[in-house]
Amino acid sequence: MKKHHNDPDRCIACSACVAQCPVTKATPHFRGPKMVGPALERMRLSQEDVEPTLEYCSNCKNCDMACPSGVPISTLNMLARAKYYKKHKHSLRDDVLAHGERMGKLTKALPAGAFFANLGMNIGRNLGVMRMVGISDKRPLPSYAAESFHKQFKKIRQQSFPNKVVFYPGCFVNFNDPKVGLDFLAVMQANQYEVIVEEEFVCCGSPMLVNGYLDEVEQNAKTNTRLLKKWVDQGYKVITCCTSCGLMLKQEYQELFEIDGLQENAKNIYDASEFLMLLYDEGKLNTNFGSISGKYLYHAPCHLRAQGFGLPAMELLRDVAGVNIENADAGCCGVSGNYGFKADKYDTAMEIGGKLFGTIKNSGVKTVVSECGTCRMQINHGANVDTVHPLTILRNVYEAKK
Amino acid sequence: MRKDDVIVIGGGLSGLIAAAASAKRGKKVTLLSFGMGTMTIGSGIIDILGYDNNAAIVSNPESGVKMVDEDHPYHKIGLQAVKNSVEFFLNLCREEMYPYIGNLNEMKWIPTAAGTLKPTCLVPKTIDPDQLKVSDQIYIVGFHGLKDYYAELVVKNLKVSLGMDRKYEIVMIDHNFSGGRDVTVLDIARWLDSEDGRAKCIQQLKNKIKPDSVVLMPPILGTTPDYLVLDELAKATGCQLIETMTVPPSLSGLRLRSMLINCLKKLGVRMIEKANVIKSILEEGKCIAVVTDGIDRERTYYAQNFILATGGIYGGGLISSALGEIKEPIFNIPIQVSVAQENWSNLKLFSNKKQPFAKIGVDVDNKMRPLDMQGEVLIENVFVVGRNLQGYDFCFEKSGNGVALASGYQAAMSV
Repeated sequence: MKKHHNDPDRCIACSACVAQCPVTKATPHFRGPKMVGPALERMRLSQEDVEPTLEYCSNCKNCDMACPSGVPISTLNMLARAKYYKKHKHSLRDDVLAHGERMGKLTKALPAGAFFANLGMNIGRNLGVMRMVGISDKRPLPSYAAESFHKQFKKIRQQSFPNKVVFYPGCFVNFNDPKVGLDFLAVMQANQYEVIVEEEFVCCGSPMLVNGYLDEVEQNAKTNTRLLKKWVDQGYKVITCCTSCGLMLKQEYQELFEIDGLQENAKNIYDASEFLMLLYDEGKLNTNFGSISGKYLYHAPCHLRAQGFGLPAMELLRDVAGVNIENADAGCCGVSGNYGFKADKYDTAMEIGGKLFGTIKNSGVKTVVSECGTCRMQINHGANVDTVHPLTILRNVYEAKK
Repeated sequence: MRKDDVIVIGGGLSGLIAAAASAKRGKKVTLLSFGMGTMTIGSGIIDILGYDNNAAIVSNPESGVKMVDEDHPYHKIGLQAVKNSVEFFLNLCREEMYPYIGNLNEMKWIPTAAGTLKPTCLVPKTIDPDQLKVSDQIYIVGFHGLKDYYAELVVKNLKVSLGMDRKYEIVMIDHNFSGGRDVTVLDIARWLDSEDGRAKCIQQLKNKIKPDSVVLMPPILGTTPDYLVLDELAKATGCQLIETMTVPPSLSGLRLRSMLINCLKKLGVRMIEKANVIKSILEEGKCIAVVTDGIDRERTYYAQNFILATGGIYGGGLISSALGEIKEPIFNIPIQVSVAQENWSNLKLFSNKKQPFAKIGVDVDNKMRPLDMQGEVLIENVFVVGRNLQGYDFCFEKSGNGVALASGYQAAMSV
């Protein structure tokens, strides 16, 4: 039986979501999750209704987390947005931001493509081209790595082990930040696991969903579900380091689509730190740690918190690996994937992140740790500190022993 | 395998109190919550007991606690533990720099958004009804565009509840909220969180009110659990400010929640959000673990003791079937329903009798452990608190947060 129901009538209008919505707090223009989500959904079920402030929802999922009745408020908003774009044209800006994977593949197809793409983005930013299409020129866009994760992975000779896991890198790790993937690989090898990389995986669809490209998300969901099922049926666990990819593959696919195998796949998809903590629980985690100096602050991505298993990276680094790290616990960073890159949402995104930036500055740390690639970019931009993935720290702790 | 001393299921007031009191005793605590609980709707004030079984007002909360029926949670908890829980709460608030006022020997009558008065016991300093006495000049502050707060209605009823001989005057404040959406008290409280908002509000107040007066306003004095906004506005205007209760979102509820969450963080309580507990694992009459059901898979959490604070029928802690059976889904605690379903409610909602449906719940011993139909302890390391308990109608008798506080505390003392 399907576990999930997108039923707006479960909303009792308690307004917990309004109290927790970071966008409602940051701007008076958003009518808030309760109104735009379940309240208007009841209207939309019977007649076409366009809510102009729907575009303010960033799909950060703080409303879903606040809801005592389990209403998937943000998903109702995303479905309404998709419905809107059935009859309205997308902007060039939305097309560019939604299709990072297309751009990533293009940079890999051309010689020195990443170099020229990055150069082009910088020139474009300086010439005001970005602003003209509606992309903020106040912050850097994610730059492309010279070599994708896939390409770098192939050059590495792994040690072979009977224990194997499948890795879902996601676009950001593959095209922009391959180091996270390599650090994951090193950590898994240190735990006597061999990593399988399935190159046929496509973008999870998260950036497309928030821009209303629901049909394309469904195509990707079908492809990924088929591939995931192939591995899951053979008994493999699938691991991701990106919390938004994880949320999409496990939860949002089930909320949005009816595809065979979704539920069984979801049971076997793990966040990397969660997986490592399960190894720890079973007494199988390699705890031969060295020690690293320095004080760190951790930022929990909203899309991790929404998954309902706490903050395994904090437990792994602080309690198990002995790293001096504290939870910033300052709410949403504001960027919400590509939301904060939009020119008209930049100020809202920075306002939302203000509390986190202040917490980071007051702490005096030089490095902030977080799973999410765009959270890390936002923190880097807003608080002017270095940012790393938790597994990078964990790899350092292992290597400090050697 | 990781194992906690205490797992608390539910993040409403009783769960937060149980977690705080357990952690204060040095226990290793995990709080599993699904949603924000009812703190956005709840007032954040602590009613202990206002009315007896016949809807007559009791002289003070303590005498009310003494006279409850045998099946009432206060009777199980006992007067001394209720007193201790109040002491615990007041201390906690002081430590968190958000002191509450009140005691068990004094009934406080606080103004509502309709201008009526309701009895309660412990309140934040923003809702101190003693301030109503300091002057006959009472200003009622309204805000342009604010939903569900009608200054005229407040005045009309205050004339009845406080008397015609006092001087009432309505003052409207403009906060220039430009977004076009409905304005809530939360928007105004956020405005007053900012220095700029406070300065603008003070400027307008000073032009319209005389010092040494009483100023009644909706709950807007900031969103954080402190008295910064209250103190600054009171000092600048030279007036006594009092917040009234209003419709959700409840600022006084949200502030109390923030205070308790801050406290749990300092105490090292592990908090897991969106954790929907669906069942328990029992071995030889003891619970060894509870299981959450995410959209992906189940997860198991182990502990020595479990505190069930899942909020009764309204909070989803008890589930009623179409046939009139009531179930507690996590531990399968039997719920005795002695009234036929057609008689669960009185014909009149505001009758002078308690609602039978409100009194349905879990029967417990004096340690808050659930009892079976024979009155024997069902699971020795499970403790049930708050709205899941049987024998009280908090709306009728005004005891809601009081039972949550006392039972949450009592469970924490029992683990």
